[in-house]
Amino acid sequence: MNLTVIGVRHHSPACARLVGSTIAALRPAYVLIEGPADMNERIGELQLGHDLPVAVFTSYLDDRRRHGSWSPFCEYSPEWEALRAGRECGAELRFIDLPAWHEAFADRDNRYADAELRYVEAVDRLCTEFGVDNSDALWDHVVEMAPADGLQDRLTAYFDLIRGDTEAGPSDTAREAYMAGWLRAACQAAGDRPVVAVVGGFHRPALLRLATSAPSAPSASSGTSAPPSPTPGTTSGPSLVGEAAPSSSLPGGATSTSTSTSTDADGAGRALAVADVVWPEIPAPPEGATAGSYLVPYSFRRLDAFGGYQSGMPSPEYYQRLWESGPEDAGRYLVSAVAGRLRKRGQPVSTADLIAARAGAEALALLRGHDRPARVDILDGLASALISEALEVPLPWAVRGTVSAGQHPAVVEMTAALSGERVGRLHPDTPLPPLVHSATAELERHRLDKPGEHTADLTEADGRTVSRALHRLRVLGVPGFRRDTGPATGIDPVLREQWTISVHEHRLAALIEAGGYGPTLEAATATLITQRIAGAAGNLAGLADALFDAALSGVTDLGADVPALLERGVAAGSDVTELGRVLSVTLALWRHDRLLGTAGSDTLGTVIAAATRRILWLAEGWHAPGAPADRNRIAAVVAVRDAALHAVPVGVDRTAAIDVAGRIAADRAAPPDLRGAFYGLGRTLLALTILEATTSATPAAPSATTSSAESAAVSPAASPAVAISAASASPTAAPFVGASALAVGVPADDLGSGPAVGGGTFPAPEQAVRGAFAAGTAGDWLAGLFGVAREPVLAPGGILDLLDDLIGGFGGDDFLVALPALRQAFGYFPPREREAIGDRLLARRGLAGSGRDLMRATVDPRTVAAGMALDESIERRLVRAGLVSAGEAS
Amino acid sequence: MRYADELARLRAADDAPTPPGWALSLRAARAFVVGDEKLGVTRKFVGDPSLIDRALVSLATSRGLLLVGEPGTAKSLLSELLAAAVSGDSTLTIQGGAATTEDQIKYSWNYALLVAEGPTQRSLVPAPLLQGMARGKVVRFEEITRCPLEVQDCLLSPLSDRVLAVPELPGAESMVFAREGFNIIATANTRDRGVNDMSSALKRRFNFETVFPIGDFDTELALVEAEAGALLRRSGVTAPPRRDVLEVLVTAFRELRTGRTGRGDEMEKLSSVMSTAEAVSVAHAVGLRGWFLNGTAGTTADLVSCLAGTAAKDSPEDLAKLRRYLEQHTSWRSGPQWRELRDARRELPGG
Repeated sequence: MNLTVIGVRHHSPACARLVGSTIAALRPAYVLIEGPADMNERIGELQLGHDLPVAVFTSYLDDRRRHGSWSPFCEYSPEWEALRAGRECGAELRFIDLPAWHEAFADRDNRYADAELRYVEAVDRLCTEFGVDNSDALWDHVVEMAPADGLQDRLTAYFDLIRGDTEAGPSDTAREAYMAGWLRAACQAAGDRPVVAVVGGFHRPALLRLATSAPSAPSASSGTSAPPSPTPGTTSGPSLVGEAAPSSSLPGGATSTSTSTSTDADGAGRALAVADVVWPEIPAPPEGATAGSYLVPYSFRRLDAFGGYQSGMPSPEYYQRLWESGPEDAGRYLVSAVAGRLRKRGQPVSTADLIAARAGAEALALLRGHDRPARVDILDGLASALISEALEVPLPWAVRGTVSAGQHPAVVEMTAALSGERVGRLHPDTPLPPLVHSATAELERHRLDKPGEHTADLTEADGRTVSRALHRLRVLGVPGFRRDTGPATGIDPVLREQWTISVHEHRLAALIEAGGYGPTLEAATATLITQRIAGAAGNLAGLADALFDAALSGVTDLGADVPALLERGVAAGSDVTELGRVLSVTLALWRHDRLLGTAGSDTLGTVIAAATRRILWLAEGWHAPGAPADRNRIAAVVAVRDAALHAVPVGVDRTAAIDVAGRIAADRAAPPDLRGAFYGLGRTLLALTILEATTSATPAAPSATTSSAESAAVSPAASPAVAISAASASPTAAPFVGASALAVGVPADDLGSGPAVGGGTFPAPEQAVRGAFAAGTAGDWLAGLFGVAREPVLAPGGILDLLDDLIGGFGGDDFLVALPALRQAFGYFPPREREAIGDRLLARRGLAGSGRDLMRATVDPRTVAAGMALDESIERRLVRAGLVSAGEAS
Repeated sequence: MRYADELARLRAADDAPTPPGWALSLRAARAFVVGDEKLGVTRKFVGDPSLIDRALVSLATSRGLLLVGEPGTAKSLLSELLAAAVSGDSTLTIQGGAATTEDQIKYSWNYALLVAEGPTQRSLVPAPLLQGMARGKVVRFEEITRCPLEVQDCLLSPLSDRVLAVPELPGAESMVFAREGFNIIATANTRDRGVNDMSSALKRRFNFETVFPIGDFDTELALVEAEAGALLRRSGVTAPPRRDVLEVLVTAFRELRTGRTGRGDEMEKLSSVMSTAEAVSVAHAVGLRGWFLNGTAGTTADLVSCLAGTAAKDSPEDLAKLRRYLEQHTSWRSGPQWRELRDARRELPGG
């Protein structure tokens, strides 16, 4: 057996060089490469002469999971170099790893991520030993910048150390068992001729061990034993869904590629050794699942964008230069690119700075023992020279990871220059990605392939299908599909969509590019929307757009990590009114929308819970004691109320809402409208909680309260009140129960002046109103209260009389100060209730007449019309002069 | 001098070229700060090794080194270590402040001798800058941005021309030229207004290095545990600090410092300093409180009481932020210590 296993780091130029020279020297019979074995049949496609980077995209779909992953190649990838060098010396080329849709890759988006990063401890120890910040700097130090001779030994030592005695995870074990099967088979087939395998260095020690162990017993058929192959006895050889691939010939190999497991049984007698070779089976996707791999163009930016465990070697442009023309040139490129970029942005970069950067890099290289400045030497030198202020966040190459917010502009330009802008292009002869076919077929099926206008009726199944297909194309950025009219939000009562379809010259190119996201319109749209959500942290409008696009495109399954992404995205929001808007729209979609099928969606539920939490958090920190009432702010509290009433099952914490409401209501520094609104919210929720606690068998509704201790403290105190409210409220009118408990006039002591109720106190409305009644803020406070809970005014025993007295007690000036805000507050009452208020006020004064008369203006309607016209024209002029913005004017 | 033996060992083992005027080579100086097990040199600074590299290289060039960062990030410790590594001692120190004058930086006179003999070398009282230039040593300048601008600017010519004029002295003595090995390590605090007030002429003569709070949770926890444990033993407390309490403490400090919870919620940062040093002092106070009031290791309830005094200081806004954090960001976490913390939240003053 003549086996050479080269352990590499993916995307390492030094390893690629080693691979190239080893293959050229050994001229092996087989070159085995860690790569998707299901591409073996089409390995020729990779060698058509593409502009790199390109990637093999693999997609998988069954009823349990959807997964897409990439195996990216660039010119300096050792795997790519192995393909090139192997082909040059006439070796047979094989990918030997499990297909990327296999369960071993279930949590991976990038096949060529750094495996060792998952075994962090050893890497940390090495970093400390060599005095470097992280694994990337360590790698440069040990491999890229070190002399080429002895590289193989150093790599071996490095990976042996990292692998150490640690037990690999189950997915790595499965992959190693499978790859070892190929190694053994190739060695057998090659006889005495050399075999070269190019695998991730982390797997090398295990592979050597497995490959040399006797190919007996279970490990002999590791191809079948390792992967939980769903259908025993599946066809060996490539099996791609949708095409019954001929299972015999791998390219170039005639005799040695005999594949059927049965051959070694009957041919045992006198067959040549090579005919006995049992190549591992290529696992077929399980029954009912679709999986496929194909080539897509890739870009350096995407290559650099993987984060965390998914990341491979960073800075593709730098390493491309390193590969092409060596470290001096790469360093020069880096310095000149950063200087050029900064100067283009108008940042001063003086010659003296560049000299200092150069000198610093040289000195750092000397100190760190590099012959020539390495990547981090140059970056550190540039940072020392160009940054002359305190940094907000650590330098990205010191902490490893993608650029976070708050970076110094010089650092941003440095990372951009490292990353580069190269975009790959596939050779024209490459088979088109399946998305192109499936999208074309779908367009033809719905007769959307011709230019023209289309109307989709969203109430019909056909119309919805058409609309979804068109929306998916729109979301994927395929030009030529324009929606002229249609619903703009989830609760827009528009049921028809009008589309204009035109044939655009870039349609095919856009489809090929989108092919990198998935094989069908639905899968590709789901991947893209997930990426949009990931990129929109804190940008609520962006998140809302992405979710609405998902709803319109009928993409319900966005992937397992989307809820976490959404949660993080919402948690970074900082605008209460915008959050309120998002919350109320999402809540409506979640509760009612049957048209787009979003009712009850878990994804939306996540957003509701996160947005509620975030609004409560932000509202509590809002300090503006004299601020006038803001309808949008009150609307946000209303949205929280609705979420706390209806969305408890998705994780809205009602107890927390009551706590926060109590604190804000009592906070003198909070804006008066928020205090009023949270007072109303707190009482509504508290009354409901008490009701639920006493009417249901269990003391607390399961998710309504997180701390049962607190609800226990509430219920005994409140029991007499509940008796009244429970009697007076029909249990079916759940949302109003709380409100009526409030209205019934629960004695003040019972609803929360107890010491431990909800962390705050909710005095009876009478007390609260008296407490809030200062001329400047009374109207604002009432606006908040009425916006959230206006029942206490009209209910028997309500506060109307009190309000009448208090307003009657205002002096003339105070009344004028309070009037606009009071008007706004009472604007929350619908006309019918306003009439009732009028009736009661008249009755209170012993006057005859109808409340409706009070509401009727006594002036001539023409005067009113003229006044309104005047107002409007003034507003228009103000807007035109830029003195108020259009939204403010209304 | 502390670490004298380590410095001696490093000097003995040092075979790399030494920059002119330096006591150690760059590599040995680096080993002195980040540690070298083979020579029995301890690690003295927890942080990125590349920061040390850059700092040493800055000192070897003609630019000064300015360490900036939040208070309590061990800038002064680092500057002492660097000075000791480069010059063999770290005693030439100027403490910056609102009342710092040029006399305290450059030189002043012994007035009795001045009157008796006139301006001579004997009547001259050299201040750290003059001494450092004359002897080729590193001068430390603490809190440089607390000094008035005009005082800061007296560093311009020593840094760029490497010369200090003493015009009172006659002839050649009126110019003191910096010997090789002279440089300045200044520290500045990002909280004190002033970093941005430094004149750009002076900024240009310094390389800025930002010192960050410890990035890694486990490292910080270990450091707090070790330091607080040592302090407690010195105070006569035999119970070691409880690990779960320290975990809560370090997590809370890190989150309040960065203004972001582990889950990703954005919040406002506290205006008071949430440094590791501050965390150590809170842990110390927690231990003392628990031991001397209850006879046990400090609990989370003790932690809440101590947080109010140490973290929120006298700022009611910070207290409100702290309360909001305890109210809203404790319930979603798992672990009994977090529940305890939540239950203890009313220990905050005014709670």
